[in-house]
Amino acid sequence: MIEKLVLVINNALTQTQEHAHDVTEHITDTALVATDHAADTLHAVAGHAVDTLHAVAGHAGEAAGHGGGHAPELPNWLELAHILFPSSITDWLMVWHVPIFSAVVILFLSFFCIKVYRKRTLIPGKLQNFLEFIVEALSNLIVGILGEHGRKYVPFLGTLFVYIFVMNVMGLFPGMFSSTSKLNTTLALAICVFLYVQLEGIKAQGLWGYIFHFMGSPKSAVEWCLVPLNFPLHIIGELAKPISLSLRLFGNISGEDMLLAIFVGLGILMTSAFHPPAWLPGIPLHVPFIFLALLTSFVQALVFTLLSTIYFSLMTHHEEEEHH
Amino acid sequence: MGAELLLPLTVAIAAVGSGLGLGKAVGMAMEAMGRQPEAAGKIQTGMIIGAAFIEALTIYALVAVILLK
Repeated sequence: MIEKLVLVINNALTQTQEHAHDVTEHITDTALVATDHAADTLHAVAGHAVDTLHAVAGHAGEAAGHGGGHAPELPNWLELAHILFPSSITDWLMVWHVPIFSAVVILFLSFFCIKVYRKRTLIPGKLQNFLEFIVEALSNLIVGILGEHGRKYVPFLGTLFVYIFVMNVMGLFPGMFSSTSKLNTTLALAICVFLYVQLEGIKAQGLWGYIFHFMGSPKSAVEWCLVPLNFPLHIIGELAKPISLSLRLFGNISGEDMLLAIFVGLGILMTSAFHPPAWLPGIPLHVPFIFLALLTSFVQALVFTLLSTIYFSLMTHHEEEEHH
Repeated sequence: MGAELLLPLTVAIAAVGSGLGLGKAVGMAMEAMGRQPEAAGKIQTGMIIGAAFIEALTIYALVAVILLK
C-alpha cells in the first residue's frame, strides 16, 4: 500500500539527507566559498527530493481522494517512475502501462510453469503438485460441462481462468495494477473467446449448419416464415455475448479497484488534519475490502471461464445430438 | 432533479432489481441443495453462473453511470 511505498522512499531520502549533511560538514572544514556553493546545491537536491516525496504522497492522495471526472485509482510503479524521473521513456511507459502490466503477468506465469515443466518427475514435488491440482480441477470442471470431447478446449479455457485470476489479484499488491480493470484488456479477451467459439461452431456444424442454427433451426413451414425475425435476433444474441463478458469483468474489477482507492483516500483524509508523520499518512481503512476484492477476483475469473465453456457447449452440442 | 441526483439513483434502482433476483435465485438453490445434498456441487456451480448473469445487469448500469459522469 501507499504507506509502505512512502516508508521506503522516506528511508532512502533520510539516508540521502544524512549523507548530504556529512558531506556538507567535511567541505566546510576546507574552504569557505566552496562550502557555501556545495551546501546550497546539496540543500537544493535534498529539498527537491523531499518535494518529490510530498508530490508522490499528494498524487496518491489526489488520485485516491476525489473522483471528479476521472475514476480514482491507486498509483502503480510506472506512475511512480514517471513522477520521480520525468522523461520520454517513462511517458511512453505510462501510455502503454495496461499492456505492460499484462505482459508482466504473462512473463511471470510462463516462467513459473516452464520452470516446473522442465523438472517434472513422476512423483511430483510441492510446486508441481500445486500446478497439477489446478490443472486437474480446471480439467474436471470443463470436461464436466463439455463432455469428453471438450478436452481439446481445456488448454484455452484453463489458461483463460489462470490468466484472468492472476491479473485480477495483481491489482491488490502495492504498486501493481490489474490490466482487467481497463476495458481494452477484457474486450480483447472476450473477442478472442467470441472468434474461437464461432470458428468451432463452423467446424462442428459446417457452414450451412452454422447458418441454419442462426435461423433458429426451422423444421416446419411456420418456422421458415419466422426466419427473417429469428436471424437478426440470434445475431444480436451472439454479439451480446462478448459485450456482456467484457463489461461484466471490466465493471467488477474496476469497481473493486475504485473501492480500494476511495477507502485509501478516506484513510489518508481522516488523519490529514492532525499532520501525521510521513511514515504513517493514514489509517488503513481499506483492509476489509481487500478480502472482498480477492473473492470478487476469483468469482469473476471463474464466471468468465464458465460462461465461455457454456458458449462452446451451445455452439457444438449439435455434434452430440448425432451421436444419440 | 439534476444529473447529480438521477445518476446514482439509476445504479440504486438497478441494485434493487438485482438484489431481488439474486435473493430468489440463491434461495431456490439453497432449497434444492437441501432436498438433494448429493447434487450440491452441480447446483452450486449453476447458482454461481446464474448469480453472475444477474449481477452483470447492475454492473452495466454502473458502467453507464461512470461513462456519463
